[in-house]
Amino acid sequence: MTFGRRLHRFRLTRGTAGKHPGARLRGASLRSAVKRIFNGLLRRAPMDKDGVARIAARQIYILPTSIGMLYATTVFVMLLGSLNYQNNIGLLFAFFMASVGLVAMHHCWYNLLGLAISVRSGPAVFDGAAALFEVTLSNERSHARYDLRLKGGLDASTPVALDAHDQRGIAFAQPTSRRGLLWLTDLEVETRHPMHLFRAWCYARGQASVLVYPRPAVAAPSPVQSSGDTHRPAARTGEGADDYIGSREYRSGDSTRHLDWKAFARERGLVVKQFGGDDGLEVWIDWRALSTPDPEERIRLLTRQVLDAGAANLRFGMRLPGTEIGLASGADQMQHCLRELALFDDGQTKAPSH
Amino acid sequence: MMAKQKLLPIDEQPERYQTLALVLTVSAAYLPLASHLNWRVSAFVALVLILRFAAVRWPAAAPGRWLLLALTLVGVANCLLANHTLVGKLGGTSLLVTMLALKLLELRARRDHRISAIALCFVVVVQFLFDQGIGLTLYFGGIAFMIVALLVDLNGGIGSPPIRRAMPVVLRICLQALPLTIVLFALFPRLTSPLWSLGFDQDRATMGMSESMEPGSISELVINGDLAFRARFDQRPPRPDQLYWRGLVLWEVDNRKWSPGRVNQYQPADSELTRAAERIDYEIVLEPSRQRWMFSLDLPIEHPPNTVLSRDFQLLSDRPITTARRYRLSSALDFRTAVPADAERRYALRLPDNTSERMIALVKQWQLETDSDWALVQKGLDFFNREEFHYTLLPPKLGANPWDEFLFLTRSGFCEHYAGSFAVLMRIAGLPSRVVLGYLGGELNRIGGYHLIWQSDAHAWVEVMIAGRGWVRVDPTSAVAPSRVDNRGASRLLGTYAPARFHIDSTGVLANTIRHLRLLADSIDAAWQRSVLDYSAAEQTRLLDRLGLADYGEFALAGIMVAAVTVVMGLILFGLVHQPVAIDPATRCFALLCRRLAAVGLVRHAHEGPLDFAARVAVARPDFALRVNAIVALYIRGRYMPNPTVADVQRLSQLVKAFVPRKPRRSFSNAKCRKYFA
Repeated sequence: MTFGRRLHRFRLTRGTAGKHPGARLRGASLRSAVKRIFNGLLRRAPMDKDGVARIAARQIYILPTSIGMLYATTVFVMLLGSLNYQNNIGLLFAFFMASVGLVAMHHCWYNLLGLAISVRSGPAVFDGAAALFEVTLSNERSHARYDLRLKGGLDASTPVALDAHDQRGIAFAQPTSRRGLLWLTDLEVETRHPMHLFRAWCYARGQASVLVYPRPAVAAPSPVQSSGDTHRPAARTGEGADDYIGSREYRSGDSTRHLDWKAFARERGLVVKQFGGDDGLEVWIDWRALSTPDPEERIRLLTRQVLDAGAANLRFGMRLPGTEIGLASGADQMQHCLRELALFDDGQTKAPSH
Repeated sequence: MMAKQKLLPIDEQPERYQTLALVLTVSAAYLPLASHLNWRVSAFVALVLILRFAAVRWPAAAPGRWLLLALTLVGVANCLLANHTLVGKLGGTSLLVTMLALKLLELRARRDHRISAIALCFVVVVQFLFDQGIGLTLYFGGIAFMIVALLVDLNGGIGSPPIRRAMPVVLRICLQALPLTIVLFALFPRLTSPLWSLGFDQDRATMGMSESMEPGSISELVINGDLAFRARFDQRPPRPDQLYWRGLVLWEVDNRKWSPGRVNQYQPADSELTRAAERIDYEIVLEPSRQRWMFSLDLPIEHPPNTVLSRDFQLLSDRPITTARRYRLSSALDFRTAVPADAERRYALRLPDNTSERMIALVKQWQLETDSDWALVQKGLDFFNREEFHYTLLPPKLGANPWDEFLFLTRSGFCEHYAGSFAVLMRIAGLPSRVVLGYLGGELNRIGGYHLIWQSDAHAWVEVMIAGRGWVRVDPTSAVAPSRVDNRGASRLLGTYAPARFHIDSTGVLANTIRHLRLLADSIDAAWQRSVLDYSAAEQTRLLDRLGLADYGEFALAGIMVAAVTVVMGLILFGLVHQPVAIDPATRCFALLCRRLAAVGLVRHAHEGPLDFAARVAVARPDFALRVNAIVALYIRGRYMPNPTVADVQRLSQLVKAFVPRKPRRSFSNAKCRKYFA
């Protein structure tokens, strides 16, 4: 995995797990190499043992904005003109504006100094959907902070103001483009407080990841029926009409036809009657049963099969090269399989598949 | 255009109140400038601003791109029409104000607001080219505050309500910027001469005294209520009637007017004063006149740098005085000049072509009646006193031969009539004479301890060459009998302040109060002038002198400036970063407990929590167990439980203070000790 640490959008590195072979670069271009070296030189606020990064004085970068350059030019011209015409009040005014700029620069820097940043992972998502992280900005001093923005999120983040000893959680959305673990190891927080003349920013280390499931294929062939017992077709519609096997709590998505209305009337809450459970409905979702040459495509098909099997409430197992997940049913089984599929390493796919 | 507005990201969309505040600030900054600009420009800008205000209320009123382009062209054309140029003080200012007003018509994103707010700084600075009064400066201090506030508010991210939360931020920035401003102002090296000139000085006519004197020229000046200069004496000021402020010396007379003439007067004086006593040191702050001449008390003996003292004791600056100028000099009240050369003598005897028979006859008569030059001068003065001469600001018009008509027909006039005709008479008598233009007297401001010399103090007198005495000052105006001074006309024309020579007594309480208020305001103005407006390279050099760094010049100044800015910035930064660490009282108590236990050998390890530590102490010293456990329990309650009560913390503090552990008693055997401390 030479490119395992290749940076994704500067701050986001992918886990070593799901690397799309097609996405591999033939060779690192000079540009990305320079980018990587430069990126390595940037100072980042390290995480302490509680997972909080505190911005120290030397980890803050600051540069004037275009408005700041305009301001500086204006002040310079005012200064030159007033000096030339020996206009002391003009000079006084120019010096005041220059001082304001200077003070504003320090306020801009100070606005980030000591800011505590921590990141938490959000729930797993399917490839293509936005992965959500929760970034917490906390102000541990007795001066307020203003206009803090997270850079690089999917949607333009609204600026955050923090009162003294205040903290705020911000949803930080990242696009997903491949399965695997999406790591958020680097965060950029910026501010243009107080006068938009300077932009100060800092990088903070984080340690959070969102699991990205493979993007399911639109449709997939029916999975292999359980061996030996072939007298029943894997009819997904046939669920449930047979024997009553017990009740469980209602989960969103359950058909209302299976609600136990009598139990509801007895104020026992929403309960779903479960039917079926006959061992004839056992399927194996098998890597080898598919013949698609592209391993990623195959994983997408398998994902669709897992989702379908889960939706049909079947008992199913999954076989991947090197792994096998035993027969089970329910949401846990589905998540287990999706997780395996998400983290399935294509490095191992090559040998057995062809 | 609407589509464009929709494309703006949410944090670039301005609030309506921000647009309104910006437009109001620009209008407020423009207002004092309006009176200096051509009415066409003012009218155009006012129109654009009204349109802008309408667009804040009804956004549909905002002009589209093509209309805006047309308006811009009209605005530029209007500036050209009004000033015939787009550069120079008036032309440039008109263009700047017009363009800024037009920019206000296309405020879309916050970025446009920011750019306009920053461009407004130019308007403020340009305004100071026209007027630098203290009131106006304070006013524009308010505008500067508004510019900072606008920029802070436009940046946003400040929480809500935005205005109330932005105010402390703006105030903090402005207050922290003030000491820096003062340091920079005091220490930033100044230019001693301009780097370039855009011809700002040619924009306006000269002010104050003009270069020649004809009947009526001074009375015009006298009606002008402007200040000419301020003078501050180091010692006791001389008597008011000794305060002859010498300005121009006029040598040549023609049919109508006196003018400086062809005498090579700009040459430095080579003739020393043969006698100079009653030396007086003083300082003058001259208002800008755009002329080269400066004023000094009759007769200057030392002159300031960058000036020339000519042969006829005129003080001349090396360049026109465009900003207020401060200078120190010394004069002698009692003096005797050297006898001039023959060429100069002959020049001072040239007569106009229109000397009449009557004038010659009159002088002949005087010559017959007197035996000395000085007696002849006295005779002339007697003539003005004895005959029906009137002193008035409203003299009748004079025809082709003003000197003759004044002496024999109208006989009422102002100082220029008296001085001009008296000098002509003296020349007829063969006495070399010249006219001096300047000021007489001045108003003493007791609050500020200085004299105010107004344009209405303008005066003209005569100097006559007397053998053995040199040039002698003769003031024919003072010879007029006081009863014939027309002070009604004067008081009507001069308003609250009338020169002493009109003998107007304003004894009314109201008049006196107004006078005092006026003098107080002028004292403030003078202090402003002295400490801020006139602050220049000279003051900086003096400062360096005092520090003993004069040899290093501007480098020393720049060095001091950098050091001072660093110190001030460091202090500001320290104020920002330094946080008084408010230690929780419970923590403080626990720290005290740990210190006391450490003193008896029970040191808390870094990894030990308070409970573990208490347990270990209880094992090591069972005699402490009860008290230490109680203290730790209180500490945990005070430190980690939500909402600790004050009573708990107080109790904790009492317990800890009362707990003074001692070393283990001797009865403890060493072995036992070792066992306990293991």
